[in-house]
Amino acid sequence: MLLMIIALLVFIVTYLCIITEWVNKMLAALIGGFVIIVLGVVDQTIAFSAIDWNVIFFLIGMMLTISVMRETGMFMYIAIKTAKIAKGSPLKIMALMFMATALISAILGSVTTIMILIPIVLLISEELKITPVPFIITMVVASNMGGAATMIGDPPNILIASATKFTFVDFVLNLTPIILIIVAFSLGLIWLLYRGKMRVSNERRAKIMEYNDKNLITNHKLLWITLSVVGLMLLAFIFQKPLHLENATIAMAAGLILVFVGSRKKVETIILNDIDWITIFFFIGLFMIVEGLVHTGFIDLLAQGVISVTNGEPKTTSMVILWLSGIFSAFVDNIPFVAAMIPMIERIGEVITDPVQIKPLWWALSLGTCLGGNGTLVGASANIVAVGIANRNGYKISFMDYTKIGVLFALESVILSSLYIWIRY
Amino acid sequence: MLLASFLEPRNILFENRVLTKEQLYQILVDRLCSQYKLPICGSKLMELILQRDEEVSPAYSTGIAIPHIRMENFNDTLIAMAFLQNPLDYNGIKVSWVVLIITDKTSSKLYLNIVAALLKLSNDKEAVADLHNTGDGHSVIQYLKKKEVEVKKDVTIADIMVQKPIAVHPENTLRELINLMCVYRVAGMPVVDATGKYIGEVNVLNLLKVGIPDFVMMLDDLSFLASYEPLENLLEKQDLLLVNDIMATDEKTLSPETSIIEAVFLMFTNKKRYLSVVKEGKLVGLVTAMDILTKVIAV
Repeated sequence: MLLMIIALLVFIVTYLCIITEWVNKMLAALIGGFVIIVLGVVDQTIAFSAIDWNVIFFLIGMMLTISVMRETGMFMYIAIKTAKIAKGSPLKIMALMFMATALISAILGSVTTIMILIPIVLLISEELKITPVPFIITMVVASNMGGAATMIGDPPNILIASATKFTFVDFVLNLTPIILIIVAFSLGLIWLLYRGKMRVSNERRAKIMEYNDKNLITNHKLLWITLSVVGLMLLAFIFQKPLHLENATIAMAAGLILVFVGSRKKVETIILNDIDWITIFFFIGLFMIVEGLVHTGFIDLLAQGVISVTNGEPKTTSMVILWLSGIFSAFVDNIPFVAAMIPMIERIGEVITDPVQIKPLWWALSLGTCLGGNGTLVGASANIVAVGIANRNGYKISFMDYTKIGVLFALESVILSSLYIWIRY
Repeated sequence: MLLASFLEPRNILFENRVLTKEQLYQILVDRLCSQYKLPICGSKLMELILQRDEEVSPAYSTGIAIPHIRMENFNDTLIAMAFLQNPLDYNGIKVSWVVLIITDKTSSKLYLNIVAALLKLSNDKEAVADLHNTGDGHSVIQYLKKKEVEVKKDVTIADIMVQKPIAVHPENTLRELINLMCVYRVAGMPVVDATGKYIGEVNVLNLLKVGIPDFVMMLDDLSFLASYEPLENLLEKQDLLLVNDIMATDEKTLSPETSIIEAVFLMFTNKKRYLSVVKEGKLVGLVTAMDILTKVIAV
């Protein structure tokens, strides 16, 4: 019991440190992870075996892949081309950028997408002499939605995939349809919110049309190699089961091939700059802390609590998980939350033994955590990163500025998700 | 070691005739050649000296010229000097003190130290006037002994740095900074307060960066953009922004005692081609990579 309280305290203190940004999140997670060991909650062997290497190497593999993909210039090309296709019309740019952001985010993850696209949209809005704030907010929303659509788009999905053995195709079949619906409704919401509000002179539009996208992709050989390897990677994800390959193996294979073929001479720079070691070690620490909760039986208690509330009825349980994780993710970093929820749903799975009935619980967790993050300014990393970039460039976006728009999209998408889960499963 | 120890009275001349550079060199060469057995002498030596003059001017802004030749298999260092009543013109620099140094190919360090000692001395206007007034070689040597002019064992930054470099104040506007940079044709300069205390540095890239917002720096590629207004808008900001707004305050600085090798090391590790020299918090000089090349390597 005492050990359980210690484990819970470590989890809560670590969480508070992350939310308040009092300490760097990686440092907080690693300290928490080793405090668990030092205080004897779990021994080192158990704590280390809780580290999900399938997740860690999947992340590293994807970071390597993305680093080479980025070097080809294909994402810049997509962004500039999008602005030109919209012919400089602000509402069209906003709608097309929304779709481009969601699409790229489904592959790269929300934070990387935001770091590539927000500077471009700042440039475009400056050329058009309109405020970039609505663009930034809607693109953040799109990045969190796009990330939720695939297994590789958002860390919660990667964690869920590794824990459940759901494949890439499972995610595409179960999550992509609802995300497409949500994106379609969101475009409607954008039209309602912003139509007729942004005026731009023809002279300004002409500037966007003069962007020369021809030079953005210079190394065509690298582009084709990258597209082929990424294509093979997606194929491997699709045929994961017959191939008997785990996510980490596929991602690392793609990443290593791309670095070897495309950027052999820059390996050290890639390892140093393009692999986000902060995130990697954050995950490692987190796995250890959550193991403390699992090992001491806290997660069991939590699972029993949820089951006693919902009577083990799958649909009700899904709704509870969806809304709980949606609301929770709107205010705090969703990764530790998902990391703790995964063993809990596994325990519930011991009560609800039918695999068909347990599935929607996982999708509810994924949709709730990914889409709830849109609710407030601090709900997801992409939000914080985007607002940080905007602030540095003289566009102050306050908590309320973001939240009054973000919460509309979060509500819209969680309501649609509820209907989807309720009807489909 | 004292500089006086390297000198001999008969090799110190006082010249009141109007001479050309070539005539003066001929006199100095004749002096040395008549007393010592040099591997190369006479017109061949003259040729070498003049050829070297063409490559690197031996004249310094303090009014001293130090032509110099390195010979193989000559294990000695010879110095001959002349104080001129009628200065020679070295491409605009008036030179009234010419020192010819002949050393072995391998003894560049000693040579550099002698040059450093001479340069330091030539900076001291009073001492140079005193030397001109002595009138004969013996008195010159006595004077240098009394003044304890030393040839150091090691060259330091103090010997090759530009003293009293151009600097700006933090409260100068960018327009004033741009003017200084253009007039003196320098790409960067130290920033000092009214008392001469070193505060930081500002360079042309800091200046150009004013016209480029942060988000442009975050783009992977800029090749799609042919023109960009904000860069042109730098001109509008030049009266509004101050040096204080754009200067860097965390740049590496040197002390006058820093060795040449450490200076090169720091230039390399900090990816900079010039460093400020600071003593007790005050800016005392500036040393550039070109100073090291021209004053240490290509001598």
